[in-house]
Amino acid sequence: MASNLIASVAPVTWRVRAYFAPVNRAAGQATIFDASGIAGFNVNAPPAPWVDLGWCRHFMRKSGTKNEALHTGAPGVAVGQVRSEVEAQVSLEFESWGKLQLALSAGVQQMNVLRVQSGAATNGSGGAAVAAVSLVAGSTATSATALDVGATAAAGFAIGDVVAVDVDYVAQTGYVGSGVSGGYVKSAALVSSDANYIRRITLNVARVTAITGGVLTLGSALIAGAPTAAIKVSRVVGFCDREGGSYFQEWSALFVLQGTQGDVVAFHYPRLQAMTGAAESRDGLVGVQAASGELARLRLSGSFRALPVKDANDGEMVMCFRTYLPGMMRTV
Amino acid sequence: MLSVQLAKDTFYAALRDRVALGNPARTIVLRGVVRPGVVATENELPGAAVDGISPADAFCLRWTGLAVDTQGPMPLIALGCEIRYATDGTSGSAGMDRGRALAAMDAELVAAISKAPQTACSMLVAEIAGGGSSTSTMTGTNVFWGDVAFKPAVMRDERIERTAEVEVFCYGQ
Repeated sequence: MASNLIASVAPVTWRVRAYFAPVNRAAGQATIFDASGIAGFNVNAPPAPWVDLGWCRHFMRKSGTKNEALHTGAPGVAVGQVRSEVEAQVSLEFESWGKLQLALSAGVQQMNVLRVQSGAATNGSGGAAVAAVSLVAGSTATSATALDVGATAAAGFAIGDVVAVDVDYVAQTGYVGSGVSGGYVKSAALVSSDANYIRRITLNVARVTAITGGVLTLGSALIAGAPTAAIKVSRVVGFCDREGGSYFQEWSALFVLQGTQGDVVAFHYPRLQAMTGAAESRDGLVGVQAASGELARLRLSGSFRALPVKDANDGEMVMCFRTYLPGMMRTV
Repeated sequence: MLSVQLAKDTFYAALRDRVALGNPARTIVLRGVVRPGVVATENELPGAAVDGISPADAFCLRWTGLAVDTQGPMPLIALGCEIRYATDGTSGSAGMDRGRALAAMDAELVAAISKAPQTACSMLVAEIAGGGSSTSTMTGTNVFWGDVAFKPAVMRDERIERTAEVEVFCYGQ
């Protein structure tokens, strides 16, 4: 009987879409994307906890895994192979600039530049910040996309403000930052016991899009979800990262390429750490402007080294999962 | 090649439907019938749409290049599609809005072609005429296309016109 299957062709894809999920640094636990989820994966509305990082270009995977021959006898005859080293790297350029893209590509603490106190001493990543605002205790209006700070405090905010939302620093050591670790504190003295320190490095940032009845409505959900009672709010004037520093950002990554024939290729790196410092690429713009040599688009470049996780199916330590979903009625 | 005609018909239908969705008022009267303002000139009476320019305020498709890559398990076919459109503006504005009218058509074309997914299930003409849903397992593949590239606008008397190009791909059967 003749088969009505269609020959499977090499996937033809447009661009790579990147997604972020946090790694629990204290527990050493990555967010694992179950490969079975690729079939229903909505690239425009990824399931929690995955966060859309937008399109990427110049996405390149590089395997550093080394296989070496196992020789026996004299003269030595290759009788097998041994995997002597396992390594994987990814490099890409983000099409979008945002807090997460900045933090991931920089690879170090990505600082929120908080509003400074009047007369504060100058500092490269921002001076002493104004006091943060507490949430109204027990308010049911507070959620991952709304902060009830009360009418009085709300008067100090304006629509369009960017806010950093996290707990006070009170002598914690180790990984800090709600939802996603944004930094590592070795000692309270090193951060001058600054109550705002965690809000300086937190990835819980959002833009205020409305203010009604003392409630700040946020344009996007906080990564850490609904704030706890200990959470406070600081106004942010910008973002800042540094060349140097001791912290390594780590994230769980998912890269999805949709094929033209209904096929999907996904690369899941449960643990990625930046292997280069902050860098950008400059590209000409479309059309006539590209020839001028003046206008250029600045893209965030990142190179990442994959770290291993254990696959529960067989206990193997692996760096990356490649998943392929063939198009309908294709030969397999 | 059956696949080439399938791709041409499928892309035409996809573009026609997307343009109609974006601007239902973009219509043209051809042979006494009001249709969405997208015309495949080779499917019309010879001379009715010379080089796709004659009907103003409509998108006129003309198929140009053809290339075939036979290296894969199915031949990959690339078709050049030229989309010409022109406008005189509106008589109420004495044509002084022709630049705005052309910009509106530019935007409609970008939206129609760049809207994800840039694919459409290959359809036979009968399927397109039957409402646009593919029922055939014979075709089974998707037609897909790249981004649109624009050429400079050209003034021709009181008319302003532009040509855009898009590469359309399909797999041979």
